[in-house]
Amino acid sequence: MAMAAAMRREGKRLAPLISSQPINNTLRSSLTSPLEQSSIGGARSISTQIVRNRMKSVKNIQKITKAMKMVAASKLRAVQTRAENSRGLWQPFTALLGDATSVDVKKNVVVTVSSDKGLCGGINSTSVKISRALSKLNSGPDKETKYVILGEKAKAQLIRDSKKDIALSLTELQKNPLNYTQVSVLADDILKNVEYDALRIVFNKFHSVVQFIPTVSTVLSPEIVEREAEAGGKLGELDSYEIEGGETKSEVLQNLSEFQFSCVMFNAVLENACSEQGARMSAMDSSSRNAGDMLDRLTLTYNRTRQASITTELIEIISGASALTG
Amino acid sequence: MASTGAVPFWRAAGMTYITYSNICANLVRNCLKEPHKTEALSREKVHFSLSKWSEGKPEKPRLLLVH
Repeated sequence: MAMAAAMRREGKRLAPLISSQPINNTLRSSLTSPLEQSSIGGARSISTQIVRNRMKSVKNIQKITKAMKMVAASKLRAVQTRAENSRGLWQPFTALLGDATSVDVKKNVVVTVSSDKGLCGGINSTSVKISRALSKLNSGPDKETKYVILGEKAKAQLIRDSKKDIALSLTELQKNPLNYTQVSVLADDILKNVEYDALRIVFNKFHSVVQFIPTVSTVLSPEIVEREAEAGGKLGELDSYEIEGGETKSEVLQNLSEFQFSCVMFNAVLENACSEQGARMSAMDSSSRNAGDMLDRLTLTYNRTRQASITTELIEIISGASALTG
Repeated sequence: MASTGAVPFWRAAGMTYITYSNICANLVRNCLKEPHKTEALSREKVHFSLSKWSEGKPEKPRLLLVH
């Protein structure tokens, strides 16, 4: 112990000798002018101001993402039950008409359902990707594919390469809570403005908060339904139904396909809204977690630098004092 | 049956089945008694904007508002 203490004392006396140059510099500068001293003081310790500002902004961002997550969670709860209930609307149609995804027709219309707002993960690019694949799949000589776009985000993506094929775009769907009247008016507008043999509706089906399945629903025009019914298969069973009243089969089929379209659209819009909120929730969750990690790292750097500068100052003071006394 | 006779008429008036069924649904909603009636009518708000595209350019969007 005594030896160690002696060494320390010795070291203290030796220290100014070993590093005489910087100490002399600081001494001289403190004697010459206070202005020069402050500039050296700035160079000596790293400024922590920038790190502190960065930490503040990261903390604010984290607050925002947390709030957005809460909002998305409460919106999701509201829309989830409605989406699940609306599945009962298209199921009878699929039971009756089947889901003829692979039908080969001339006028294809791809209805891409997306959201108006961003920050919701990859659901919009998924539905755009599926829509592009569908239009490529159904392309060929004397065939045409048109897009009907719901929502800003898919519009922004499809404008880049398929400008010419866009027939209609619809936005601002979610100003009010989604309801059947709204979607049916919308479906009616689509039917009036687009000529189609088959409508292919692309949307993200809500499975759970973290899982959305890109889905294609196909609605056939009455003529194609009749053509397919003659060809047999699932639709061939239509003839076994008896039609009441004075309506002909084609009239019934037309009404049916129009109503089917509005029902499928209603479900698609709801499912997509639900997936949007779920995706936003998980995206905001992970971004607040990332912000937390970042904040931890920044705090560590900040404290370490602060500690280092304190230590350097202490060493300087002590060595300065010992130089004066010793 | 009234609807059987009516089918050609609304179709001839340029309506689709969707418009026809919406009008019918609205009539039914109007038959509700008061507290439920305003509630049901306020639920079914229509708001979206539609723009047709021709030659790769969007036309002026048309805002649809039915409250």
